[in-house]
Amino acid sequence: MDSHSTDWRGAAVLGGARPAFGWLGRQWAAPALLLAVGYYLAARLGFAFTLQPHPISTLWPPNALLLAALLLAPVRAWWWLLAAALPAHLLAELQSGVPTAMVLGWFASNCSEALIGAFLVRAFVRGPLRLDSFRNASVFLLCGGLAAPLLSSFIDAALVRLIGWGGGEYLDLVRMRLLANVLTELTVAPLILTWAAFGPERLRAVPARTLLEAAALFAGLLVASLVAFDLPLLDANIAPALFYAPLPFLLWAAVRLGPAGTASALALVVVVTIWGAVNGLGPFSGGTPQETARDMQMFLIAVAVPLLLLAATLDERGRVSRDAREQRLQLTHLSRVAMLGELSGGIAHELNQPLTAILSNAQAAQRFIANRGIDPEELAEILRDIIAADQRAGEVIRRLRALFRRGETQFLPLDANELVHEALGIVHGDLMMRAVEVVPQLAAGLPAFQGNRVELQQVMLNLIVNACEAMSAVEAGNRRLTVRSRPVEGGVQVSFIDSGPGFAAEHYAKLFEPFYTTKPQGLGLGLSISRSIVSAHGGRLWGSATPGRGAGFHIFLPAGGTAA
Amino acid sequence: MQACISVVDDDALVLRSLGRLLRSAGFTVRTYPSPQAFLAQGADDAPGCVVLDLSMPGLSGLELQQALAASPDARPVVFISGRGDVPSSVAAMKAGAVDFLVKPFEERALLAAVHCAVEKDRAARRAREESSQIARRVAALTPREREVLARVVDGKLNKQIAAELGTAEKTVKVHRARMMRKMGVDSLAGLVRAWTAIRQTGAAPQY
Repeated sequence: MDSHSTDWRGAAVLGGARPAFGWLGRQWAAPALLLAVGYYLAARLGFAFTLQPHPISTLWPPNALLLAALLLAPVRAWWWLLAAALPAHLLAELQSGVPTAMVLGWFASNCSEALIGAFLVRAFVRGPLRLDSFRNASVFLLCGGLAAPLLSSFIDAALVRLIGWGGGEYLDLVRMRLLANVLTELTVAPLILTWAAFGPERLRAVPARTLLEAAALFAGLLVASLVAFDLPLLDANIAPALFYAPLPFLLWAAVRLGPAGTASALALVVVVTIWGAVNGLGPFSGGTPQETARDMQMFLIAVAVPLLLLAATLDERGRVSRDAREQRLQLTHLSRVAMLGELSGGIAHELNQPLTAILSNAQAAQRFIANRGIDPEELAEILRDIIAADQRAGEVIRRLRALFRRGETQFLPLDANELVHEALGIVHGDLMMRAVEVVPQLAAGLPAFQGNRVELQQVMLNLIVNACEAMSAVEAGNRRLTVRSRPVEGGVQVSFIDSGPGFAAEHYAKLFEPFYTTKPQGLGLGLSISRSIVSAHGGRLWGSATPGRGAGFHIFLPAGGTAA
Repeated sequence: MQACISVVDDDALVLRSLGRLLRSAGFTVRTYPSPQAFLAQGADDAPGCVVLDLSMPGLSGLELQQALAASPDARPVVFISGRGDVPSSVAAMKAGAVDFLVKPFEERALLAAVHCAVEKDRAARRAREESSQIARRVAALTPREREVLARVVDGKLNKQIAAELGTAEKTVKVHRARMMRKMGVDSLAGLVRAWTAIRQTGAAPQY
């Protein structure tokens, strides 16, 4: 056994993140004890789920418990865990009057199932198994849910025949074992695996709204399952249709609650169904115990397989789109910071103005006081100016911090003119240094729209900076930036029109491509990110040019628009 | 006469604060919110200088400096700027700025630059005053006296001058004495100094 090749995250899940302690692994004492107690209780539960009078087990949770424990632990801890389960097994089984040889034989077959499943799964998925992707769920279903029960069922049935306890044909024994074991693996193991991956921290972070939704879902599911599988009053003729009663709730769980919620919902349905069958209730009772067990198990397996795959696939898809959104956010932030870097000269100017005013005012007051005393009126004016300058500097810093901050995703009602004013305020120093004259043509009474303030400001800043750079070759007196806002059908249009050389039609398509740039230091991401920001607002960003006379870039934002 | 400082800055807060600072240091101050307002104001008799913001909308500080240098009431310029921009500061200094201060600056730096600029202006005004006085004296000379003056500063002897002008040496002596009296000098050295002064300022008549 190569214990070094195993993944360490398993240890963190079951035994806390303490470091290794030689091969003995003292940190496995607590998980092993936990497993023993769990095994014993699971065995008691298994007995409760046994059909009478001829005892047929419908669900045998200890096997799945073993498999889940092995899947969460590193390989070097497996033997410890199996050894810990033995006393629990003996304690539970010897009470039931089964011969000791048979009890030991069953332990061997239980362990073989867990080991086969765990080895097969590990061959495809390294580290502790999470049922959070289609691939992982498939591997689990095929290896842990099918292959392990299948192979161990042959062993189990052979042992039963060998020891000679209980009757029946060999293949019947195999089939009975197989269905019970498959159902158990599909019900109990996902429950443990998903909740172990979920962990107490994430449970605490679940919003109250989701908890409420889960409570409603489980209440509905319980009622639907009780009606479908436990009520004695129902006419047997309509019963098949009732099989579908829990299905909406199960799908709801798969879509909204993730793998852990789905596994829990599934477990609930399985328990309610078996409880009904064990007590002679519901659509599955009525036949021989063998038929009851077979029909019920096949039904539950047929429900469980697609549901587990669906939950895992949806979880994976959600994660992928969250990752993509996170990346877009990061990229947007990065290009914003890069742009602010380009603007730093102008921003320094914007801060130096009020700082100069504060310093000169204070030093003037000092001199007045030292020389000839000061007129209280003049002192009041000086203080007023100092306060005004200080507030101005504070405002510059506040705006900058908002732009430097990462990813506010909130959409708030915004006013286009206010955004334009703020953006022009930030680049004021830069416009001055570049001798660009701003011609504002802002229409009053524009419709409000929903948007992300910082990201839209980024778009405007980007268009202003581009316009300034386009005009750098123009003679100083002729650099004009017209900023126009006007209501258009369905929303607001804001245009930034420069008096630069414009661009040729054949370059237009390239302008919005990522990494296309005409600036020596440019990233070439500005326009492409700007366009994706505007698109996320349900709007459009496009350009127009009159070669030799200037270029214009226009933003359309839908009134009252929402996030795409 | 008390120095008068003109401050030109488009930022009202900065403009007022600089006005106060210079007044607290004992200067008379005039403030202008734009280059245009400053140019519209016209000439100022008192010695002084201009404290000029580099980047303003419309006319830039550098353009105003050039316009000012070309005008009859040229005054030294102290530049102030919100950023330490090397090309602009080099251009400003080449065009004769006294100093180039980056905001925010210490009062010492501004006051030292302004004092220096005012001293430069006083010296320039003295020189201009002196040369215009000399020019007035030259203008008061008769044509013959001017001919004599030109030859005297060329280092020619009375005898040579008489020969060139086709007159008697004695007559040249009389013209020369009258010319020296009108020019307010009593030595050849003094005459040459005055002549050189007006030649440098361009006030010397051409012959």
